[in-house]
Amino acid sequence: MAVAWIGNREASLQRAAEEAAKLLQSSRCPVFSFDTDVHGTRAAIALAERVGAAYDHIDGAVLARETALFTDRGGMVVAPGETRRRADVVVIVGELPEAHRRFLLELAVTEPDQPAAGQRSFFSVGKQTPPLDGKRAATQLTCGEAGLAATLAALRALCAGRQVSTPVANFDIFAQAIAEARFPVFLFSGHAADALALEMLQGLIGDLNATGRASGLHLTASESGWGSALASTWMTGFPPRTGFSRGFPEHDPWRYDVARMIAAGEADCHLWISGSAERPPPKPRKDMLLVALAKTSGPVAGAAVTIRIGETGVDHDGVGYLARIGTLTALAARSPTDLPSAAAILRAIAEKVPAEAVPPC
Amino acid sequence: MLTKIAGGEIIDPVNGRSGKGDLWIRDEQIVEPPAGGKADRTFDASGCVVMAGAIDIHSHIGGGNVNTARLLLPKQHAAHLPRPAQTPLSNAGWSTFETGCLYAKMGFTTVVEPAMNPGAALHTHLELADIPIIDKATLAILGNDDFLLSLIRDGASEQAIDDYVAWTVGTTRALGVKVINAGAAAAFKENVRAFSLDDVVPSYGVSSRNIVKTLQASVGRLGVPHPLHVHCNNLGAAGAADTAAATIAAAEGLPLHLAHLQFYGYGTEGKRKFSSEAARLAELVNASPEVTIDVGQVMFGQTVTVSSDVMRQFSARATAHPKKWVIWDGDGNGGGIVPYRYREDFYGTLQWAIGLELFLLITDPWRVFFTTDHPNGAPFTAYPKLFELLMRRDARNAMAEGLSKSAMALSTLASIDREYTFDEIAIMTRAAPAKLLGLKDRGHLGAGALADVAVYRRGPDIAQMLGSAAFVFKNGDLVVRDGAVTHYRWGRALRLNPAPDRAMVRRLDDFYQDRYGLSLDWFSFPDSAIARENPFAEVA
Ligand SMILES: [Zn+2]
Repeated sequence: MAVAWIGNREASLQRAAEEAAKLLQSSRCPVFSFDTDVHGTRAAIALAERVGAAYDHIDGAVLARETALFTDRGGMVVAPGETRRRADVVVIVGELPEAHRRFLLELAVTEPDQPAAGQRSFFSVGKQTPPLDGKRAATQLTCGEAGLAATLAALRALCAGRQVSTPVANFDIFAQAIAEARFPVFLFSGHAADALALEMLQGLIGDLNATGRASGLHLTASESGWGSALASTWMTGFPPRTGFSRGFPEHDPWRYDVARMIAAGEADCHLWISGSAERPPPKPRKDMLLVALAKTSGPVAGAAVTIRIGETGVDHDGVGYLARIGTLTALAARSPTDLPSAAAILRAIAEKVPAEAVPPC
Repeated sequence: MLTKIAGGEIIDPVNGRSGKGDLWIRDEQIVEPPAGGKADRTFDASGCVVMAGAIDIHSHIGGGNVNTARLLLPKQHAAHLPRPAQTPLSNAGWSTFETGCLYAKMGFTTVVEPAMNPGAALHTHLELADIPIIDKATLAILGNDDFLLSLIRDGASEQAIDDYVAWTVGTTRALGVKVINAGAAAAFKENVRAFSLDDVVPSYGVSSRNIVKTLQASVGRLGVPHPLHVHCNNLGAAGAADTAAATIAAAEGLPLHLAHLQFYGYGTEGKRKFSSEAARLAELVNASPEVTIDVGQVMFGQTVTVSSDVMRQFSARATAHPKKWVIWDGDGNGGGIVPYRYREDFYGTLQWAIGLELFLLITDPWRVFFTTDHPNGAPFTAYPKLFELLMRRDARNAMAEGLSKSAMALSTLASIDREYTFDEIAIMTRAAPAKLLGLKDRGHLGAGALADVAVYRRGPDIAQMLGSAAFVFKNGDLVVRDGAVTHYRWGRALRLNPAPDRAMVRRLDDFYQDRYGLSLDWFSFPDSAIARENPFAEVA
């Protein structure tokens, strides 16, 4: 079975890795985008350092909203386990990603047991009311035609006893529930909430903690993205959208937005990394070379180099972030194959780039 | 390979060596001088002090809270140095790679991350595995977790407590156990805002003291070499010295380690109701041979406080500089990240002076440990300067000149003449930590020891001398030359490996399924998940 291609011609892994290394090394502005596990991310960053590339996650647009909450503001967050056990009021802030549907249903069919057996009530902020199980419905908190950020701002103002120009529907019910609650939890994600909405939400949570308790549960818009953000942060000090063009890592969420760099014609060589068959590489621009590490059975259209990789947790073991437990976990291969991991291929490429030291990851 | 470190001044208090001589290394170990042996390579150590590699028992170098602190403060660790050829990513500010290199160049070869959240052990170990050169170890946090608090509330047997503690240490690959403001994080979830040693956790009816005593006894019965590592209640509060004194008394003849005692050295005297109780605490430590402490020295400048004491961090959020912070309610402890600038004002000066008083008034260097509680009192990069303050009275006095006079008036520091000797430094930063952690293979230079060796060129400037080693060997491999790291090697995380009790594993699995809707499997991981060769080393 073929594992690598240079253009449309089958090649050995060795030759393909050499060719990829040559293209990246001779590129003026190489960029990486990835959707991979922690070890794939580590290897990608080690290679990016070596060839002076910028890197971003494939879900960079939504991920950047979540990383910006931490880099620019901070706030209060709670573990998913504590949410299940303590949240007597659950507030769903905007539409949540599909991946968290199961946890939402789980919250709907369980009751808090700490500090004592109690009951959960549900609210949703914004126009999108997610389906819970049949018995439950979320009380909708909307504010005329206002978006999520403005609705949260109005909610915060009302909670603080201030006047607002447009009322928030059902605020009285919410106010009553919050007054009686022991641990309200707001479920949020960069999927629906932009930076301003996340900031407003944290303002509200902060206010509630002046006299009582409340927190936010971060249900990331991209589990693979958040796992990569954690690894990127310990390796370079920064989340993705970091570049090595000057020989040291620099984080700039606008400048190193890889999709933007490609669209603007700044990038001349794009390394695409995804072991998910559902995420095919984009068709490359004419003025840009594409090196694709993908779960594919043939060469990627338009790619200068294609190397076949497997998917973490399916073809091979790995480590990924799981929002349901709020941390990294070991992912065992469900149906192991011989397909190499992104990490192994990235390391093989890094080893072909002349350097004084072996790659650190 | 046979290596000779020739003509250095060898300081090895464990083996009673102090004076000029040679040190021989064969491969990874220190050996007796071989009869007629011919070295494959020789390093000239004349004019140098030769000590075992240093061991830091309490430094927050990796894990979820440390990483959140990195994320929160991108501007404060921006890199400016060009790409290092031999040590990739070591120019990235506050990266795991930089951490290993900065420790190594000071001659530190083993560092303990003292606050591992057991539920996120894999994350912690992945970060530690990306710290090059040094060996690492972790302490697992217990004492705010529902399972333990429920066991205590329900009057569980010693055996059940021990099985749970052993399971936690084993599955998380820890070297010991830490308790952080016992019970307070659980109480904080019920909106309790202050918590002391005899306060009771709501819904459990269990006092903080009871939690500490339960864990202290269990750690002792299990034969974990490192005594229970205690972060007391009321950290940072005026009057916290009373809490620390009560906790010292609670040791009751059994080993107990109190972390960063400086942060509890505060009385309520004076116009500002904030004064030094260091002399009193030092006296109590001196009189309690079962108690060990580390200092958590404060040095001036910008840092960030990273702590699993979520209640304390929540109450400190208003002091954040710059004005942003993160508070996390976790399963068990959680944590808080609050950036902070120590100023040379009344409060900063007093904290600085209290730390030094503790160092200088506690007489036994085997029981006082060298820490800044990195990064809480200061980043560990302040160590060279701190060595100088301990070893040079003139340096202390010169620094005090520029600080708050009213604070100095409330401290005994100016009256203390003591200067640490190299022998005492070698005990405090090598021999004693190895003993406290149960690491027989390091902390000394006797035959059979691991060849972790630091060679410092003598000079009038102590900070320069100890901040930038002439040579450092890790497992016999030369990793630092003239203060620069020559290459990476990958150390290990030192761990205990008690066998899990099967009935306890079943009980825990039921508990997780029932209360969290999760299999215990999500929290366990094979060594291969770390993706480095031999990431762990078992301490027998
Ligand atoms: Zn600490």
